Order: sequence, then C-alpha cells, then structure tokens
Amino acid sequence: MLNKIWIFLILAGVLIAAGNDIADEARNTYRNGIPLTAAIAVEHPPSVLTPTWQGEMSIPSALFAAFYGVPESGDVKETVTITTAPSGVSVMTIPVNESSPPQWKLMAQRSSSRDHLTATIDRIQWSGGASNGSVRFIVDPIRFVKLKAVTAAAIDWAAIAVNVVLGLVGVMALWLGLMRIAEEAGMLALLTRFLRPVTRFLFPDVPADHPAIAAIIMNTAANMLGLSNAATPLGLKAMEELNKLNPRAGTATNAMVTFLAINTGGFVIIPATAIAVRAAAGSVNPGIIIGTSIVGAGVATVAGIVASRLLQRLPMYRKEKEERHD
Amino acid sequence: MTDLFRSFVDILAVAAIPAVLLLFVGWAAFKKVKVYEVFVEGAKEGFTTAIRIIPYLVAMLVAIGIFRASGGLELLSALLAPVTSWIGMPPEALPMAMLRPLSGSGSLGLMTELMKVHGPDSLLGVMVSTMYGSSETTFYVLAVYFGSVGIRKTRHAVPVGLIADIAGMLAAVWIVNLLFHR
Repeated sequence: MLNKIWIFLILAGVLIAAGNDIADEARNTYRNGIPLTAAIAVEHPPSVLTPTWQGEMSIPSALFAAFYGVPESGDVKETVTITTAPSGVSVMTIPVNESSPPQWKLMAQRSSSRDHLTATIDRIQWSGGASNGSVRFIVDPIRFVKLKAVTAAAIDWAAIAVNVVLGLVGVMALWLGLMRIAEEAGMLALLTRFLRPVTRFLFPDVPADHPAIAAIIMNTAANMLGLSNAATPLGLKAMEELNKLNPRAGTATNAMVTFLAINTGGFVIIPATAIAVRAAAGSVNPGIIIGTSIVGAGVATVAGIVASRLLQRLPMYRKEKEERHD
Repeated sequence: MTDLFRSFVDILAVAAIPAVLLLFVGWAAFKKVKVYEVFVEGAKEGFTTAIRIIPYLVAMLVAIGIFRASGGLELLSALLAPVTSWIGMPPEALPMAMLRPLSGSGSLGLMTELMKVHGPDSLLGVMVSTMYGSSETTFYVLAVYFGSVGIRKTRHAVPVGLIADIAGMLAAVWIVNLLFHR
C-alpha cells in the first residue's frame, strides 16, 4: 500500500505540475511578452546623465484587471526604479509589497525574486514639461512555476527530513536512557500491572508484562498530555520492543499496526498548538475547540483500533504475515 | 468548568516529566541500580535509532513535498468538493482535511491562514482548528515508527491510518456543525 501511495504521490506530482505549467503557458496567465502601458510622474525630469532614477507609476484599476483578466483590486501605484544600461536598454524594477495588486504579489512569489518584479522598458513618452509621461513595459517572463517548485520541494524536503531526525537524536538518547533505568529497576513491570485488562484486549499477541506494553502506556500518556518531545522517543522504544516479538523482520505485526492506529488518532486532552494559533488570531474563546477535538480525535482513535482489528483478518494481510521468504 | 479542567491538565503536563525523572531515578537508586552507567548504556542507542529513520523519512517527505508543490491538492479539492459540501464540509476546509495526515507544518500553516482570512471564531475557523486537533500527521508517524525498526512491508497500517483520519475529519465536521452552526 505504501508502495502504491509513493508511486502515486511522485508520478501525480510531476504530471500535475507539468499540466499546470502547460495550462499557464496556453492561457498566458502571466501575460509574458505582452506590453503594458502605465502613467509615470517624476519630480525632476531625468536627463541622459542620470542612468538611474525613480518615478511614481500608476495604472487605473480597470485597465490592470482587464490586462490580466483578474477581478479589480483598486488603482495600482508603485514607486519604480528605472535604470538605463550603456547599451540603451532600460530596466524597470517594481517593488511588490502588501499594497501591491494580488496578481503581482502572486507573480513576484512565483518568479525567483519574491519582493519585486523586473520589466524591460519598451518606450517612454514625456508630455507637459517632461515630468509626466507614459511608460510601456514588458514584465520579465514567468514560466514553469510548478515544475520549478517541484524541483525545489524535492531538494528542500530531503534536507528537512535529515534535520528532523538530527533534532530527534538528543531526546531519543535521553528517553532511551531513562527507560533503561526503569527497566533495570523493575519499574516497567509495575507500570503495566494497572492497565492489564486494557492492554490485554488491545494487544493480545504481546505478553502483558512485556517492556513493550510499558513503553506503549508511557507513549500514550505523553501523547495525551501533548508532550510530543517525549512521546516520539517512547513510541520508538515501543516499536523496538514490539519488533523483538516479530517473527518476520521487515514486516509489520498486528500489535504494531494497532499501536500506530492509536498514535495516528492523535488523542490529545488539550490541543495546545491549535489553541495557541487561535489565540494569536484574536479568538474570543480559543479553548472552545477542546471539547470538539476530544470528540474528533476520540472517534479517529476508536475507528483506527476497530479497523486494525478487522483488517488484520483480511486474507491479503493474513497471507503477508504468514508467508516466509528471504 | 472548562477552565478548571484546562488548568488541571496544564499542571499535569508541566509536572509529568519532572515527576518521571524523580520517580525513575529515585526508585532505581533505592533499588541500588548503577543509574549513571545504565542510563549511558541505554542512551547509546538513541543515535543509531534516529539515523535508521533517515531513508524512510526522506522518501516520505520528498514524495509529499513534490505532490504539494505541484498543485495536486488543489486539483483533488476541486474534484472532491461537490461530495464534501453535501455532508456539510465547507470547500475551504477540504484542503485542510487532506493536508492534515500528510504534513504537520503544512496543515499548521493552512490553519493559520484560514483563520486569518475567515476569523478564528467563524464556523470555518472553529472547524479547521478542530480538524487540526483531531488527528496526527499519519504519514510522518508511519515513516518514523516503521523506519526505526526497518519495517518495509506495512500490511494494513496505511488503510488503518487513513480510516482513522477520515473518521476523525468527519467527526470534526459533524460535531462543529452540530454545536456551532447557526
């Protein structure tokens, strides 16, 4: 299953990206190569001796909207910088910020620059004392946005994965060390005793006083309290212990899948992250989602446990458990 | 009532790790375990366990990253929107439901964005934050947990995880509509 999902994510990702880029090209979403005319005003008319100067560019709302085929978003006003190279070619830099039209924000984000757009000037005409005029320019072409994004995502996420793991090393060492102490002192067996009826029901294949059960209990407790830094190492400890009971290396056991179902249900008593984001967004009652989240995550956890118990009996998954090769 | 419950759980969360430290080390010392030596022996495995996860996590995060960057989620949302609006899920909440099992940071960003635009106390704001609180990043958990013990044949783990996610999302939509829909 993971194989098929992986194939789907990669192939669909690349093909959808290519499809989106071809559609952009066919529609010419960013109006590549088409000149746009704007009014420009300067305080001091530029002379041949000033290769770089600034001016106030403005485009009426309706004209801009019609040019890009987007809804109107108000008149466009930007302080642009115009630089003339010795070859006679003039380049205009348009800063893109919060007040810029959404279409330009999108284009800046999708070009390599982010906070500005560059354009080549086609023609400048002055009228009325050379401080008001019109400028006709072509914004530098923006192409293959999604394919470039796919390339960047592949490289970035590979690096993020390694950073995530390196971030785990310290807490892993801490919790594995503490668990070993508890094991030596005979504390884990004590811990498992109280919840024996529950764990017997959930993990019938695991001996009730096995260290795996203690790690599972501690992982679940840490998850419920929202202590994710402790929960992951404890969960990995549980997986390691469950794997000691695994007759077939490299294949998941029923107990492992049930354990993962409990974990992916994500049952947290207080969803602290969501509450913090709500408070930051100015919510009147950020904690209002505690109850609804308990319902949501509770249903998810129960559904996961039930599904793991039912699906483990399906012939296709049973066979995979029993067949022996390698 | 909720406030009392919340401060109780907050105290529990703050006290949990210090209590575990005290209990574990104290009890072991009482039992005459050579605490320092045993700790170091156990902690040694931390590095190798973490390093073993790298290939699994790279494979998972890169595939998900590529799919998200391509605009695939938007396409899937457009295809699924007629079905999900029929069950009372606003179309804006659908990308959240799909992103939640794939990417923790991605769904956090999307939740923040949606609340900025629609307000945290709107029906949509309450719904997406409930969705965020109703599930874990399933594919991350799968990659990390199975990766740490070298499991490649995951059997029914993926369908089970997805069933749990779908159930959680539907329950979130249902309960929020029930309590907050006006």
